[in-house]
Amino acid sequence: MTQAFLSIRNVEKYFSAVKAVDDVSLDIRENEFFALLGASGSGKTTLLRMLAGFESLSGGDILIEGSSIANMQPNQRPVNLMFQSYALFPHMTVAQNIAYGLEMEKLPKAEITERVNAILDVIQLSHLAKRKPDQLSGGQRQRVALARALVKRPKVLLLDEPLGALDKKLRSEMQLELKRLQHEFGITFIMVTHDQEEALVMADRIAIMRDGALLQVGSPKDIYELPGSRYAADFIGVMNFLKVKRTDNGFAAPDGTAIATAHVSDGVGEGDAIAAVRPERLFLGDAGDNHFDGTVSDIAYHGLDLLLHVETELSDTPVVARMTADVADNHRPEIGQRITLGWLARDTHIFPA
Amino acid sequence: MTTDRRPLLLMTPALLWLTALMVIPCALILVLAFFRRGIYGGIEYTWTLENLALVFDPLYFRIFLKSAGIAGLSAAIACVLGYAAAYAIAAMPRRRQPTLLFFAVLPFWSNYLVRTYAWIVLLNREGLIVNIARWLGYNGELPSMLYTEQTVIVGLVYNYLPFVILACYAPLSRMNPEVTEASRDLGASAWTTFRRITLPMTVPGIATGFVFVFVLSIGNFVTPALLGGGQFQMIGNLVYAQFLTANDWPFGAALSMVLILVMLGLLMAQAVVAERASNGKGQSDG
Ligand SMILES: Nc1ncnc2c1ncn2[C@@H]1O[C@H](COP(=O)(O)OP(=O)(O)OP(=O)(O)O)[C@@H](O)[C@H]1O
Ligand SMILES: [Mg+2]
Repeated sequence: MTQAFLSIRNVEKYFSAVKAVDDVSLDIRENEFFALLGASGSGKTTLLRMLAGFESLSGGDILIEGSSIANMQPNQRPVNLMFQSYALFPHMTVAQNIAYGLEMEKLPKAEITERVNAILDVIQLSHLAKRKPDQLSGGQRQRVALARALVKRPKVLLLDEPLGALDKKLRSEMQLELKRLQHEFGITFIMVTHDQEEALVMADRIAIMRDGALLQVGSPKDIYELPGSRYAADFIGVMNFLKVKRTDNGFAAPDGTAIATAHVSDGVGEGDAIAAVRPERLFLGDAGDNHFDGTVSDIAYHGLDLLLHVETELSDTPVVARMTADVADNHRPEIGQRITLGWLARDTHIFPA
Repeated sequence: MTTDRRPLLLMTPALLWLTALMVIPCALILVLAFFRRGIYGGIEYTWTLENLALVFDPLYFRIFLKSAGIAGLSAAIACVLGYAAAYAIAAMPRRRQPTLLFFAVLPFWSNYLVRTYAWIVLLNREGLIVNIARWLGYNGELPSMLYTEQTVIVGLVYNYLPFVILACYAPLSRMNPEVTEASRDLGASAWTTFRRITLPMTVPGIATGFVFVFVLSIGNFVTPALLGGGQFQMIGNLVYAQFLTANDWPFGAALSMVLILVMLGLLMAQAVVAERASNGKGQSDG
């Protein structure tokens, strides 16, 4: 692990009485791809705006390579922000928008032109270089905003939902491009996204924000497989929540069947608790450490795999189990059929009820 | 083919009103400008281009140019002051802005003549300013503050400033603050951001304000008459004199016609600027 490149220390932000950012501390490494996830209003944009210099800090400090940038003007910070609203300059063409930041660096004209053309190529908008922003589609505008921030090759690039308006194909192309540019220019990325899959695929580390505070920070694998709280478990991916009870020697389903687990989170007390298991960790039959019976209420075919909805007494909503297509071919359950689903203790997480 | 006639119906009263009070008098002036002046005033109904030629006679054309100069200078000063005021108002918290605008425009709701007379009260030889200077112990010679060209400009700027404030406030308040933030983020100083982002995005407001003040000033005759004290004439005073004292209606009409054409040209140029701006505008917030 290299030393912290960008250090966010106990940062707080109040908008009069509203606490938008609550005691956030984060160390981000050089050249790291960091993703911020969180529900709407959880403070993601506010945190980025503080890093870029558009919101003062109510408390705490921000350091880059050991020196504080908290009192620096936005134009002096080695940080660029791609705005959630794009904030393109309406009176300038696409090319002029992108060139603007380079002109501010007083680079030679030839270099500016070259870099603008190169980035236009990356975002696949070379043919629209002379258009004004209001002659572009939403997705095209988003790419221009992205290019305008990227072309500066800052030390830290803050992206507020950079790919939200793009279709699936273009989005995955842009994801690859972002990763490539990150390696080529050694940019540290902090990206806000609503798309957890995008965060899992792209990020080196992910932070989940809730009500202005960091709920959990970790690698995509940790976040997905070792959620620290019921909220985090629910927020990332699909999770089944089962009603269980604490017993003298562990946990049990309402009917008394023991539930073995490898992960018990803090704060689980006496009485009711919640057991969580991912749909892809459930399998047909009672071979695992744990199992329960249920009735298939729905089957959703997804091509590669199949989602079974199973009604059981352990949950008020149907439990979702994900089967690969070959399993489903061999013993394809039918709607209304009584089945047994099993899973392993190491895939079981217990949270407070 | 059926066309919806309702819009036409709604427009009719306004169109009739304008026809009666604007188009007909203007047409009369247009026609009048091409008749000869009668020997004892009045009009002799024979066609001539003499009146129009006289407008471009150096003697009178100089007044035209001078009026344009005064109107231009007034408009420019009003634009600088008005833009600064509008900028300051737009930078205030949203909920305070309507109040501030109200106060900026307040003088507008009082009578034009009264306001102009108030300046005379302030500036004349025994006026408030002179009295204050004396009271403060200044006994030396004071420059004449009334009946100068500068006083007229001050009066015109004062009168039309609210127009400019309103015209500039509209585009300034509509700007997405994140657009200027983006400029700062990309490395521009506050001044560069103003010069390259804010100013170009709000130029239509300035153009509107400038043209309004210019057009209203170049034809104005009350302010030069009262504050200029008849010391010098603007084109409005000349027109006034032709109609009411010299009794040369055709020449007055010819002067008016040229003035109206100048104004029309400017207003149309302004409309084109505004149109182009609204085409290239569209806040870029997807
Ligand atoms: N200028 C402001 N004045 C007052 N409250 C604000 C301001 N900006 C943000 N807030 C509040 O701070 C909280 C966090 O807002 P923020 O914009 O950071 O959320 P977000 O996580 O970016 O949400 P989204 O995913 O919808 O973009 C919200 O409750 C919001 O209402
Ligand atoms: Mg946001």
